[in-house]
Amino acid sequence: MTRRVVESDVCIIGSGISAAMVADRLARTTSARIVVVEAGDNTIPLSARAAARDRFVRYGENPWGRDHLEGYEIEGPLQSRSMQVGGLAMHWGAVTPRFSPEDFTQRTLYGVGTDWPIDYDALDPFYQEAEEIMGVAGEQGPADLDPRKKPFPQPPLPLTYNLELLKAWAAKSGIPMWSQPSAKNSIAYRGRPQCCRNDTCSPICPIGAKYSPDFTWNALLGTRRIQLMPRTLVRRLVLEDGAKSVSHAVASSFDRPDTPVEFHARTFVVAAGYVWSSHLLLLSAQTGAPDGVANRSGLVGKYLSGHRNVGGYVELPLRLYPGMNEQHSLVTKQFMRTRPGTRFIRHDLRIWESSVGKTARLTDDSGALMLGDAILDDWRTRTAVGTARVRAYYEVIPDRSSELTLDTSRKNQWGDPLPRLSFQDAPESVAERGPTEESIRTLFSEMARAGKGKVLRTNVDNFQDHPAGGCRMGTDPSASVVDSWGRTHDHENLFVVGAPSAVSGGCANATLTFCALALRSAHELERGLPKR
Amino acid sequence: MGISRRRFLASLAAAVPLSVVVRRAHAAAVRHLESDPATLDALGEAVLPSQLGRAGITRAVSVFRDWGKNYHENAELLHGYGTSRLRTTGPTSVTRWTSQLDALDAAAQSKHARPFKSIKVADRADLVREALKGERLDRLPNVAEANHVAIALLAHFYESSSAADLCYQSRIGRQTCRPLAQQARKPLPLAGATKP
Repeated sequence: MTRRVVESDVCIIGSGISAAMVADRLARTTSARIVVVEAGDNTIPLSARAAARDRFVRYGENPWGRDHLEGYEIEGPLQSRSMQVGGLAMHWGAVTPRFSPEDFTQRTLYGVGTDWPIDYDALDPFYQEAEEIMGVAGEQGPADLDPRKKPFPQPPLPLTYNLELLKAWAAKSGIPMWSQPSAKNSIAYRGRPQCCRNDTCSPICPIGAKYSPDFTWNALLGTRRIQLMPRTLVRRLVLEDGAKSVSHAVASSFDRPDTPVEFHARTFVVAAGYVWSSHLLLLSAQTGAPDGVANRSGLVGKYLSGHRNVGGYVELPLRLYPGMNEQHSLVTKQFMRTRPGTRFIRHDLRIWESSVGKTARLTDDSGALMLGDAILDDWRTRTAVGTARVRAYYEVIPDRSSELTLDTSRKNQWGDPLPRLSFQDAPESVAERGPTEESIRTLFSEMARAGKGKVLRTNVDNFQDHPAGGCRMGTDPSASVVDSWGRTHDHENLFVVGAPSAVSGGCANATLTFCALALRSAHELERGLPKR
Repeated sequence: MGISRRRFLASLAAAVPLSVVVRRAHAAAVRHLESDPATLDALGEAVLPSQLGRAGITRAVSVFRDWGKNYHENAELLHGYGTSRLRTTGPTSVTRWTSQLDALDAAAQSKHARPFKSIKVADRADLVREALKGERLDRLPNVAEANHVAIALLAHFYESSSAADLCYQSRIGRQTCRPLAQQARKPLPLAGATKP
């Protein structure tokens, strides 16, 4: 059988946002030959996104076209079926808070979970670098709650008229809130335009004001700094004799399925997100690594992390105008700082404008059908007061049994088992779940009272959002998969970067943290590569 | 031995893929809607707010008709969050809408001896109420999921940016490209607005 061999200095597996960060840095600081391998297809060009968005707005159609692999229905809460050049961050909401310093030292501070092998200060410069690559617009919160060494690269997105009113409402409860940092341009930035409030950031920005990894890939392709190979599924990592390092990666091309592709490189970077990174390592079981590559600890695929949220809607005697910019919110980190010695309850808090409970309806309170002017008149009457959407992501301590395993009952077209996902709360979080959710509901009620309003309803999402983990970092090779730089303990030339290396899920969107971790890994990677 | 016409048509139908049959049915229904716009326009006058004015109602109905014309069956929907299951759009609603418009016309002929478009607006509304008896009407559904063309038309209008602006009597411009800096101020009132 013929095979195709592709050689490079660095082979990056996956093309999502963490991969883009690594490639961007290595392309800037080294002259390394970089190959990026992506199982999914190329994404649609920017020029096609306005039309794609229009179909989404009018019909709910997926604006990203061919962004998934056929036959990949898996068991468990997969965050998204999307798989394409740019990964899930093609349709992310671009919400980019940093983790708080407490997230990295929970065992020390609160006696729960596991401390990360790095602290907030170690990650600060890489947060900054990620923010500059993406172009984060942010407002500096109170310094003690929101520490950072340098200013945001862009001024904050201005608060809407609605959010100004809601900020004043939160202040009545003594809660300082500020503009949620976002990778959306408040000013034109690096060739991308200023946001113009199309308000479909997730799933698609039609003008490119939101950062997505395709901008990085297009720039790197334009300067010929990388070779990008889409529609190529890496199926195995093959170890050298003695299993100290990775020799090559074996892949299959969807376009030439009969010709295996081998990627030979000095260094391999697995940047395939929280599912496909662990999945690849487990699939790569071989002599010298019978339980999978990088898995002497037995922890590959374990300790998947995330956070849960309690949400709600509060009716307030405020004249709000839903639709001004519904995907932009206020945020506070006030509740992330549990006092040592008290219950371990940590969460963020956000507020958005909302139209919930304030949309047109067909029947009046008596159940009678309305037609003509009656619907509009009824709608006007009900919108004399406004609705605020409130939500708190709360910390869930990851459990070892939150895991990704190989599902031998479901296989892809090459016969490889698909992953199976399962999430569990650690015992500490099981014990705290009830009090935590009650505490958040009480907070919503107190805020509603302070604003002379009422809570319309609350809900709890049962899944763990912003999932990560599976190859957690640590200093002890028996208790972790990679070190603090993302280098696997078992193989000197194999890195796992971004989401999989996270130790815990914090209580805020984690993508910026994944990017910072990936850039920190890239910093280490470049030490062994020729300088630019 | 020759075959009957029915058998011939059946064998012909079997030879044409179902997707082609469905596409043709959708196209035929769209042609029907376009060739007889008056009934749908008359329905718009009966169910949409008069505050839109005649031109506004005509425009809202036209955009709705366009929605139906450009509907794609079996198109992939936005991926669900937290699941690997894929979903697609369902069968076209336009074939159902044309039948329902024909039924409204027939009801008008039966009760008023005139076509639906020629009876008074209040009488049209009564016929719509009659047609909707037994329907579950607790909320406005997605346009594609509406069981009746009248509900689909209402759902389509009331999810629009212009409907929100009319309700709030303000130029919010939801989901349209607008200057970012302007979001800091209260939306400007609509021209002629009475309750900004």
